[in-house]
Amino acid sequence: MPQLSINGQSYFTDSPPDSPLLWVIREDLRLTGTKFGCGGGYCGSCTVHINGLPVRSCQVKLGDVDSNAVITTIEGLDPSDAHPVQRAWIEHEVPQCGYCQSGQIMQAAALLAVNPNPTTEQIVQHMNGNLCRCATYSRMVTAIHRAAQLAKEA
Amino acid sequence: MGDMKTPQQGMTRRDFLVRSTVVAGSGFLSIGLPGLASKDAAAAGTAAFTPSIWFTMTPDGKTTMHIVKAEMGQHIGTGLAQVIADELEVKWADVRLDTPLESVANFAVYGLAYTVNSGSITTEFDRISRAGAAGRMALIEAGAKVLGVDAGGCYAKDSRVVQKSTGKSVTYGEILQKVTIDKKFAYPADFKGIALKSRDQYSLIGKSVASLDVPAKTNGKAKYGIDVFLPNMVYGALVIPRTRYSSKVVSIDDSEAKKIPGFIKAVKIEEAMGKCTGWVVAVADKYPTAMKAAKALKVKYDAGPYAALDTPTLLAQYKDLSKNEKESAAWVLEGDVDKGFAEAEKTLEMEYTTDMICHATMEPLNCTVQMANGEWHVHIGTQSTSFARMTLTGYLATVLKKKPEDLKIFVHQYLVGGGFGGKQDYDDILAAAWCVKEVGRPVKLIHTRESNFATSFARTPTYHKLKAGIRDGKLMAMNQDIVCGWMGARFGVGKKYGSDWLQLDSVDGKNQDIDQWSIGGSDHWYEVKNHRVRAWNHETTTWAVQASALRTVSNSYNIFVVESFMDEVAHAAGRDPLEFRLSMLNGKGGNRGIPNTGYPPGTPSDYYMDRLWISLPWASENSWPNYESATVGGALRLANCLRVAAGKAGWGTRRLPPNTGLGIAVTAAEERQSPTWVAGIAEVTVDPATGSYSINRLTIAMDPGIVVNPKNVDAQIRGSALWGASQIMSERLTLKNGGFEQSNYHQYQPIRLAQVPEIDVTIIASDHHPSGVGEPASTIVAPAVANAIYNAVGARVRHMPIAPEAVLEAMKKAKA
Repeated sequence: MPQLSINGQSYFTDSPPDSPLLWVIREDLRLTGTKFGCGGGYCGSCTVHINGLPVRSCQVKLGDVDSNAVITTIEGLDPSDAHPVQRAWIEHEVPQCGYCQSGQIMQAAALLAVNPNPTTEQIVQHMNGNLCRCATYSRMVTAIHRAAQLAKEA
Repeated sequence: MGDMKTPQQGMTRRDFLVRSTVVAGSGFLSIGLPGLASKDAAAAGTAAFTPSIWFTMTPDGKTTMHIVKAEMGQHIGTGLAQVIADELEVKWADVRLDTPLESVANFAVYGLAYTVNSGSITTEFDRISRAGAAGRMALIEAGAKVLGVDAGGCYAKDSRVVQKSTGKSVTYGEILQKVTIDKKFAYPADFKGIALKSRDQYSLIGKSVASLDVPAKTNGKAKYGIDVFLPNMVYGALVIPRTRYSSKVVSIDDSEAKKIPGFIKAVKIEEAMGKCTGWVVAVADKYPTAMKAAKALKVKYDAGPYAALDTPTLLAQYKDLSKNEKESAAWVLEGDVDKGFAEAEKTLEMEYTTDMICHATMEPLNCTVQMANGEWHVHIGTQSTSFARMTLTGYLATVLKKKPEDLKIFVHQYLVGGGFGGKQDYDDILAAAWCVKEVGRPVKLIHTRESNFATSFARTPTYHKLKAGIRDGKLMAMNQDIVCGWMGARFGVGKKYGSDWLQLDSVDGKNQDIDQWSIGGSDHWYEVKNHRVRAWNHETTTWAVQASALRTVSNSYNIFVVESFMDEVAHAAGRDPLEFRLSMLNGKGGNRGIPNTGYPPGTPSDYYMDRLWISLPWASENSWPNYESATVGGALRLANCLRVAAGKAGWGTRRLPPNTGLGIAVTAAEERQSPTWVAGIAEVTVDPATGSYSINRLTIAMDPGIVVNPKNVDAQIRGSALWGASQIMSERLTLKNGGFEQSNYHQYQPIRLAQVPEIDVTIIASDHHPSGVGEPASTIVAPAVANAIYNAVGARVRHMPIAPEAVLEAMKKAKA
């Protein structure tokens, strides 16, 4: 039975190895913060971190995930849900319907992890793959700049 | 849409009851409209006397606002709670929200749960303000009793009743613990006594209070319909039918699917009420298995009557239909249009067309249905739990051959991952319910993105023919002919489709039905003395694409057409498009607005006024009396917005870079009954070599009356403006062989971050009755961009969306 390390915990699943990781995370392990949007890697709603990199979990097969891989979902981004991106997101009230926002936050957090001072152009380039039908886009850019600032204050 | 009548016995739903009980120290206060003894409520075993509850206050000082409006990105719970809490003088920190369960009994208590038309604040504002104020008055009276002082010398603030002269006070919680409140505010006698705050006394309304739904949307804790789990649940994935509508399943070969471990059953959904045509659902123990099985099932179809239809065919048929004047129904008829054209020095005739688009909400349609102990439970994030329940009732009554009153159905509401008009159809619930019957376990039905697109409820394609008569540089006469699929037919709008409500009668004496949601927006607020709008219903479209409401409904195409054409007329008349518009936005005649919504139907002298009443028919059954209409001020408020936007955008004052233009558009969407005044200027740069264009900047000015939460209004304006940018630039849904051609976001492309222009938003808050903000700005961007492209390079494109190739072609035409 495949074993996964997610948010610092071990999980077992009886899903077949060709199952997209997204559905294992959501429906087997019930970490429902990770969302299904398109199943084709076009929208980014299902973004999680695998070994620190932002990954579209709908495109990853369970059988391809190394049992040593460190997987982080929105639920595990910060033990107190107070990652700088999350704090900035609340401060600027980025979410509207909110459905795509876990993916947006995971995508943004991955950027700040490697680039603590992104320019607006870098933010746009990094975030362009994540769709938001409510078009909360400009607040996201503002909030990512703010998160960079918050991270430094910490 | 179900029977919405509630028998009333002695009291009206306009009365307020403020009641508290003290039971072993745990009293609570509730207030609301007495829904009263409906037979539904009695059948459900509830007390004959049922208050329609707006909020409940408990002795611990907490106040829970009961929100029946769907939370789908507008933070509506927070907005409604702000209004109540302000009048109630309850501490904001003590405010909680909940969402009532939808059932027959609760429908009688909480009323219709339906979120649509950007209407939540507009329709509820006055009523909930009074509910809050009535609660405050009852608490002051009771608090004075507890304090042993005269109520006249007391006021309420921050959940306390305070004696002015001494500062002695008692908290709301203490009051509820000590005395029983039982107070009635009867309509209309006691209503004059309900003291609403003056605008300057507001402490929460007008403040950007942090929205209560936001934090959970940043940490994965927010629960949407798709996040539901029930014990013993299985999953369903839809097999994509051959055509959008009216496929018939001939046979199902499940031999390959059966080889997939975990596959349970291929369920052919029992069709009823024209729903779920050709639907087969693969049921399995896990969702990936269900998706795999859905692909493995070999379903043979009779593709039905629409199998050969495509978009070009539809548009050609529209043009033909428009030549048949006998079939037309007039929606606007002012002055004598033909005489106006005859007297004109110059006439201008143009054809416009628009493509389909669809909602493409980030959360695909889904629901989870359970049947246990004789009760059906539906878990879903939807724009109307009430219609969800009613539709399932109708379906189950038909397919199970039961009496509707014997069915016990409950709908549990969750957050909605994007609505935009796309979550008010219930085929998925019906299909899931049939699967539950077939497999005997709870079923979670989730659309793949592909099946979600394939079963879209699309905005109809449209064809428009416009004619203008110009004399002395003025627009003397205007005619607009509109052919499209009328979405209302699917909801039973009109005599032909089963109801004599919701539709409007044509104004040409032919007594024809008109579906206002397919025509509205053409009845603009410009003064044109001779003005006619005629409409044709292309019925095939209605069914073939399942035409439906999509953010601003018909405004979303009509404003593009009207505002593009107005620009053409201005140029033809040799006038500046800004000055030309302002000269006609003069607030005269039917464009003057009316003081309140309380006119009895039929009283006003012209049909524009009459129309106000019909616009929100579901409200009229127990309609709320005599509050200020959002139309007050009329077109003059729109002119004001236009002046503000034009000034800020630098219309006529800024030097622009090469191949760059500004374009104007205005609207008063959603409907003439509920206008939100908004003007927009787009700055666009066109690449003359390729025809591609980019929107540099949008300048938007909106006057929505009272602004409850400025930050949320700003977010709605920006989001809807980008929705408009998205639909002019890239969104396009096309029909081929009776099915939609686009299957996922690589083919159907909503706007992305890199395309987002700078947006300058001005909110012109006023003291007028608040109007909706979630949609109107989405209508003006498309025409403003089209007009800007013309001003940049002389290319007039009369089709939405505007493709670069069309810009190139129009540039060639302009040069020729």
